[in-house]
This record gives sequence, structure tokens and C-alpha cells, in this order.
Amino acid sequence: MNSFVYQEDIQRLKPFMSVFFIISTLFSLVFLKMEERRMSYVVLKQTREYKKAAEIQKQKEIQLAKLLRPQFIETIAKEKFTLKRATAAQIIHLNPNTTVSYLKSATTPAEKSN
Amino acid sequence: MKAKIISLFIGLAVLWCALALRAAYLQFLPHEKLNALQARQFQTVVTLPSRRGNILDTKGKDLAMSLPAYSVYADPKVIEDKKIFSKTVSQILGQPISNISKKIVDSKKRFVWLDRLVNSSTADKLKEQNIKGLGFVEEWKRVYPNDRMLSSILGFIGKEGQGLEGVELFFDKDLKGESKKVSLRKDARGRPLVQDGTVFTETPQGKEIQLTIDSDLQYFVETELLQALKKYEAEAAYAVVLDAKTSAIRAIASLPDFDLNHPEKSNSLYRRNRAVTDTYEPGSTVKTFILAEALEKKIYEANSKIFCENGKFKIGKRVIREAEKDHAQGLITVSEILAYSSNIGTSKVALKLGDQALRSALLRFGFGQKIGLDLPGEAKGIILGLPWRDHLLANISFGQGMTASPLQIANAYAAIANGGILNKPYIVQSLNDIELNQKYENSPKEIRRVLSEETSQKMRMMLSGVTSGKGTGLAARVPGYIVGGKTGTAQKVKPNGRGYIQSGYISSFTGFIPANDPQYVIYVALDYPKKGYYGSVVAAPLFSSIASYAVRKDGVAPEILTEKDLTQVPRAQSEVNQKKMNTYYLAELKNEKQILTAAPDLKKLSVREVLEKVQQQDIKIKFIGQGQVSKTWPEAGEALNQGRQMTIFLQE
Repeated sequence: MNSFVYQEDIQRLKPFMSVFFIISTLFSLVFLKMEERRMSYVVLKQTREYKKAAEIQKQKEIQLAKLLRPQFIETIAKEKFTLKRATAAQIIHLNPNTTVSYLKSATTPAEKSN
Repeated sequence: MKAKIISLFIGLAVLWCALALRAAYLQFLPHEKLNALQARQFQTVVTLPSRRGNILDTKGKDLAMSLPAYSVYADPKVIEDKKIFSKTVSQILGQPISNISKKIVDSKKRFVWLDRLVNSSTADKLKEQNIKGLGFVEEWKRVYPNDRMLSSILGFIGKEGQGLEGVELFFDKDLKGESKKVSLRKDARGRPLVQDGTVFTETPQGKEIQLTIDSDLQYFVETELLQALKKYEAEAAYAVVLDAKTSAIRAIASLPDFDLNHPEKSNSLYRRNRAVTDTYEPGSTVKTFILAEALEKKIYEANSKIFCENGKFKIGKRVIREAEKDHAQGLITVSEILAYSSNIGTSKVALKLGDQALRSALLRFGFGQKIGLDLPGEAKGIILGLPWRDHLLANISFGQGMTASPLQIANAYAAIANGGILNKPYIVQSLNDIELNQKYENSPKEIRRVLSEETSQKMRMMLSGVTSGKGTGLAARVPGYIVGGKTGTAQKVKPNGRGYIQSGYISSFTGFIPANDPQYVIYVALDYPKKGYYGSVVAAPLFSSIASYAVRKDGVAPEILTEKDLTQVPRAQSEVNQKKMNTYYLAELKNEKQILTAAPDLKKLSVREVLEKVQQQDIKIKFIGQGQVSKTWPEAGEALNQGRQMTIFLQE
């Protein structure tokens, strides 16, 4: 008996269900469409931000290239570190048989004997 | 009544059906006009300008780069208040108000540029103002981080982004790339509806060009050239540094130069690469090729003797003289002719060769024709057609009556330096297509063999004689290396092409280093120097400093010179001349001193001074500490042990 009533209710509800299904599908479609639109604005915004970041990176690369140019390095060396341009006279040509080793500090034989 | 209702219903149904059919027709069947209308309403085409490819040096340092920039335009027709518009825009752009108002005065115009390539912060400020009638075009601005360096080689671009000079012009198509057009849907406000952000982020870009230029060497060359230009008060200066083996251009300069970031402010004369585009009479540097041809054809040997008429040689009515009276020679060898740069000696060799052989030799060395360099405006130079009268033949043998560009001369010397092969000089090492991830490497290209290996070796020896003994190129020597080369002092032709300018010279030196295994071929020239004019005085020291830097930078080990390494420049000059010339001693070059058996006195000397004092001694030195020498072991005067070891204690 109960099951009969239940089936009858379903039968009665079917048109409403169909209408509800159609409406909800339409709403879903509209919602998805709106979401797609919203997402596209987000993507556009992100793209702009990316481009801005890429632009800053480019500017930094140019700044780096300007910092690494030989004329700038020479100016800094001369003006900040008071260095002079290397001259040929500074070059010492050692005999191939001459060897040079270097120790930062050590005890001298005199200190050893003490 | 029912029939009326039914007929009304049918009528309405028919109407609805017609409407539905029309809608279906419009919607589903293709219609060009309607499609275009739809596209205009919902679609937008975004043009993505191509980013111009970077130009790099051989080590990957940036020489030319592109930075995003905006060009600002106005649509005068839609501007509401021109006064407010002019005031606001001029303030941000930093232009006078009158400048802007003049541009927008004509309301019929729909497009007028207000400023080109402004930076993004200025563009952002303008965008914030939300001014009606103001628009922006995204472009790329070219930036040259080194300002003046390599100016005539890199060239520059115009406002529309087109290459106008140098590499920028020659490789314009490759560097420029192709702009991309993207079709997108747009919303009611005209904003593009993006599904895939990469359409905007992946900007199209041109190929990246890597040059063979070493920017550090280039900077050194330009600095030295500028110093020499000022010192000798010259009008211009040129330098070409080639890889001796491949003819790859390592440095090339022509001064005065200009600021690449502001080319419009410079004289148009200085914008071209004169080391490639201009030719002049090369002077004595050509003698090398005349003698090389004579040796190649086995007409003479390096030690064959030629009488140089004691400084006066008559050909018909004309008299050939040496550059100076005291350069007069008697019987000297072919090697000496080159070393002393004898005009008469070379003329006699040329006369023996004959005009046909001489002309074909010069053509073979690449003179009088384009070599096919990858830079614009390459000059051919002039080699006159045959026949040549004897006096013209003599003139050409010492570099008058023909013209050549600095690059041609350097490249011809490279043929001697590399064993006799004339290569095609090149400046582009590789082209890198970033979009396709493909790299096109350039390789050395052999044009032809111009000399046998044997002759080129002989010529290298003879040319190293120019920088030793009593040769004219003594000032070109580089301590620790054998240098080969030739001086050139060419008279400057009058602008009208008739005769020579009084006291007008182009002083040059072309050579290679090290002469036993050449790595670099270097050409230097000073155009119209006012203080001194001989190539041996003006250009040779310049060559020396550039050559010294180039080999040391590359880590080419210096040689300890022996008798064998040096060409024996015969001592046939008169006694008077010998005294006048700086005599060059092998011992001086070798810095030979007696071998010490006892420890030298090194007290209170600095490390540098110690090294200078013991540089030619076979001593194993051990430094301990910092500062000046406080004591040594063994002490001064004590015998050195068998291992010849010395310990030096330093104290600050």
C-alpha cells in the first residue's frame, strides 16, 4: 500500500522534477558561462602582472649589463679603489726554471731556536 | 468563434515557424556579411609586436637589448577639453604644453603621435589619468648598455624599429622577427576574454645574434685608440683585430664614434664603420705582398741581394726615393728591404715581377674586391686595370695608386700568419632562433690558398725581422713574445682625388703575435696625425699595447727567446745609419744576466722587486709572510745550495 502511494507521488512529481532539472541545467550553464568569464578576467589580470614582472626583469637585466660593462668597472676601480691602469712595466717575466711558492705566515728559524 | 481561434492560432504558428526558420537560416547557414558583423562585435585582434633579438659578444655579454616601451597617441576628434588634455599630458610626458596642443589642434584628425617609446612608469601614470582620446601602442625600445662601445659595428635602429646601420641593418630581418596577431573574443567594454594566458606571455621574438667580438678586448682597443688619437692629434683612428687562424673579427673600431643610445645627435660621417667602408692608399704595408709574391714565384730568396741605388732610383722621367734621405740603402737583402721598408728595393722587385703578376697577386690577396663580410657597406678598394706603366707599377709596390680598407689589409696579413690561406672574415658567430630552439653556427670559410706553407713561413720570419734588429717596427715589440709586422706611412690623398695633402699621412702598423704561432692579426692606423706621422712612431706602439693585452688576456704563454727565434736582420746599413738607429741586442731582449752562485742581497725589497731581481735566475723561491724582505736563507753572499732554493721572510 505504502509503496503504491510512494510511486504515485513520484509520478506526480515527475513534471516538476523535469522542469526543475531543465531550470537547474540552464542555471548551471549560465553559472559556468559566468565563471568562465570571471576566470578569463583573472587570467587577463595575471597575464598583465606576468608582463609587468617580465618588464621589471628586463630592466634588471639591462641594469646588470650596464654594471658589467668594462668602462664602468674601470671607472669604479680608478675612482673608488684608486687603482691605476696596468702597464707593461708591471709584468715580470720569470725564467721557466724559477719557481715561486708563498706561505702567509710561518715561524722564522730564529723564532724556532727561541 | 472556435474557427476564428483556430485560424488565429494557425496564423501565429506560421509566423512563429517563419521566425524560427529565419533564425535558423541566420544562425546556421554561412553568411559573410553577418559573420563579419559578428566578428566586429565580439572579436578583437591583438597585435603582439615581436621583440627584437639581443646581440651578444663571444662570451655572451649583452651588447644590444630590447626593453618594453609604449608609444602614446591621441585621437583629437574625441578629446573633450583640449586645454586640460594638453596640460595633463604635457606634465607627465615632460613636454611643453604648446607642443601637445599644436599636435591636437586639428579635430578632424583621428590619430597623432604624442611621444614615442616612453617607459612603462610614464605610460602607467598616463593610464591612471583615464583621459579620453589618449591611446597607447606597445613597442620595444632598443637599449645599448655599453653606450659608445662598438657603435659603428652594432649600428642602430629607427623609430619604427628598422635597422639603419651596422649589424642592426645587415641582420634586420633576423633580428626583427615577425609580430603575432591573435584573434580573441571581447566583452562589452572591449576587454579581451582570455582562456589561454600564454597567447600574451609568449611574445614573438627575433633571432639572437652572437658576435665574434670580445667586448673586453674591444674596450681595450677603443680606449688605446682614443688615447693615441688625442696624443697625436689625429683626425681619426682605426683598428682591426682578427683571429689569425680563422679571420674571425675579435675587435674592430673606428674613431670618432657616437653614443648608440642617441645616434641622432652624432655626425652621420661617424656612424659608419670606416674600417670596412672606407679605403685609402695603404702605403708600405703592401710591400709584404709584393715580396711574398716574389718569394712564391721563386724570383728572389729572402737573402737575395738587391742594389737600392743609394736612395735615388730613376724610372723614365720620375725619381723614386726612400721615405727619408738617411734611409738610403746600398746592396741589401730582400729581408732587409722589408725590415727597412725600402721603396726602391720593393720597386725593383715589382718591376721584375711585372704588372700582370703583381696585379693578380694583389687580387689574390683579396684587394680590389669585396670579401663578403657580414657587415653593410663593405668597400672594394681600387686596383687599376692593366697595363701599368713602370712608374705606376713602382708606386703600387709601395702602396700608392691603389686603395684598400683596413679590414682587407688585416685579412691579407692573416693569410700570411695562418700558413697561406685567405679566409673570409666574419663577425657573426651564431644565430639563435629562440622560438624554434635552433642555433645556426657560423664557421670559418676558406676563400683560396694564396701562398705556400713554406713561403708564408719565410714571410713570417721576415716580418718578425721588421720588429727586431734595425727594422722599422721596433716599437711594436711585445716583451716576451716574437712579433711580426710591417709599418705603413701613406700620404693622404686630397679630397678632390688629385695629388696629396701636404703633411697629411695615414700612419699604420699591421702585424701578428706571436710570430712563431700567430694567434692575432692586428691592424692599427691613425688618420692625419698632427704630432708625428711615421707608422713606426705613431702606430707601432699602439700595436704593441693592443697585442700585449690580447695575448695575455688569452693566456698565450710568453716565450724565452733564443737566437733561433729571431730573424737575423743583416747588418748592411751604413755605419752612420747604424748609430742613428736604436741597436737591438738579443741579450737585452732576453734580459740575460750572469747566473748567480751566491744568494743576492734582497733586504728591504718588496715581493715585486725581489721577482724583478731574480727573474732570470734558476732559483726556487719560497716567500713567507707579508710586506718587505726582513731576512733570507741563505743570507746575502752565502752560496746557494745544490737545489738553488731560497727562503725569503717578509715582514710588514
